Parts: sequence; C-alpha cells; structure tokens
Amino acid sequence: MKVPFDTATGTIVCGLLLTLVLYLLVRQLVSGG
Amino acid sequence: MEHAFDFTMRWAHFIAALIWVGHNYASVVQRPTYRPLTRDDLVSTESSAFMAVLNREHGTFRYASVVAWLTGVMMLWQRGWLVDALTLNGYFAVIGTGFWIGTLMLLNLWLVLWPHQKKLLGFVPATVEERVRCSRITHLSSRTNTMLSIPLLFFMAASSHGSALFG
Repeated sequence: MKVPFDTATGTIVCGLLLTLVLYLLVRQLVSGG
Repeated sequence: MEHAFDFTMRWAHFIAALIWVGHNYASVVQRPTYRPLTRDDLVSTESSAFMAVLNREHGTFRYASVVAWLTGVMMLWQRGWLVDALTLNGYFAVIGTGFWIGTLMLLNLWLVLWPHQKKLLGFVPATVEERVRCSRITHLSSRTNTMLSIPLLFFMAASSHGSALFG
C-alpha cells in the first residue's frame, strides 16, 4: 500500500501540514484561548 | 560557569541533532522514492559491504539522538523551565511541544526503527522474507521522523526567535 511517506514530496508536505496544525493549536494554548 | 554550561549543552545539542536529523534528510535526498528491497539486495556481496556502512552510520545517529535529547533536557532543567515545558504551561508550550515531538522521535527510533533495523542489517537472525518486511517498516519509521523533524525545528526555533508568531 502506497503512503505519502513513499516520496520525498509527500513526507515534506505532511511535515508542513502538521507544523501548521500544531502551530495553530499551540498559539491558542499560549494566548489562553 | 552557569553560562558556560548552558552554552556547552546548546552546542552539543546542535551537533548531535544535526548528526541525527541530518541522517534522515540525507536518506530523503539519496532515496526520495521508496523502492522495495528484493532478495538480491540482501544476499549479494556488494550489499553486505553496503550493510556494513549502514551499520556504522546507524549506530552514530542512534547515539546522537540520545545526546540531543539529554542535552535538551539539561538545558531546560538548568534554566528551571523543565516542568513548565513538559506541562505546556504558557509560552513554555512552544519549547514544550518541541520537547514532546523530539521525545516521540527518540522513542520511534529506539523502539520501532532499531528493532527492525537489527534484523534488516543481519545483527539478529531473520529470514530474507522477514528482512524485506523489516525494510518497509524501517522506511516508514525513518520517514515519520523526517516528517516530525519539520514541526520540531519550527518549535525549537520559535521558542527563542518567534515570540511574535504566538502573540
């Protein structure tokens, strides 16, 4: 079964998306929202 | 003396992290697309020489991961930030998120990747079929850490230089 991690592009795109999601969550946490 | 300790820990943290995560990026550059290993890959003479190189390389970055993690913990402890970072308290949530991602990567390396890599490299007995199966798991485990390193580096950098992003 193919997964995004099978290509360099897929790995990097997943990493960037995870960064965005975590950034939004941590920003909420820091601002006490 | 306190500053010298902090600086030395930071320096060691950078070097160890570069060796560790640099290995992941080197793998992505050298083999951007997954190619399943075959029986021939694992039994040819040329491959055994290649496996010896992998062995040395793998040991180096595996222990670099421990140094990176320990020096990170030491820095947090020395500054009195450890508990706040681990509990994601206030702005410490930024460095704390980096800490937890790094911890996840360390556990993935030692508990998922390494046991399968041992079989793949032939350190423990395994059939060729089992080693081929392990190569798939080590690939996914390695790429998971590459993927996790992207937010990890973001939060590490942001903890010192990105306060405006979290304002």
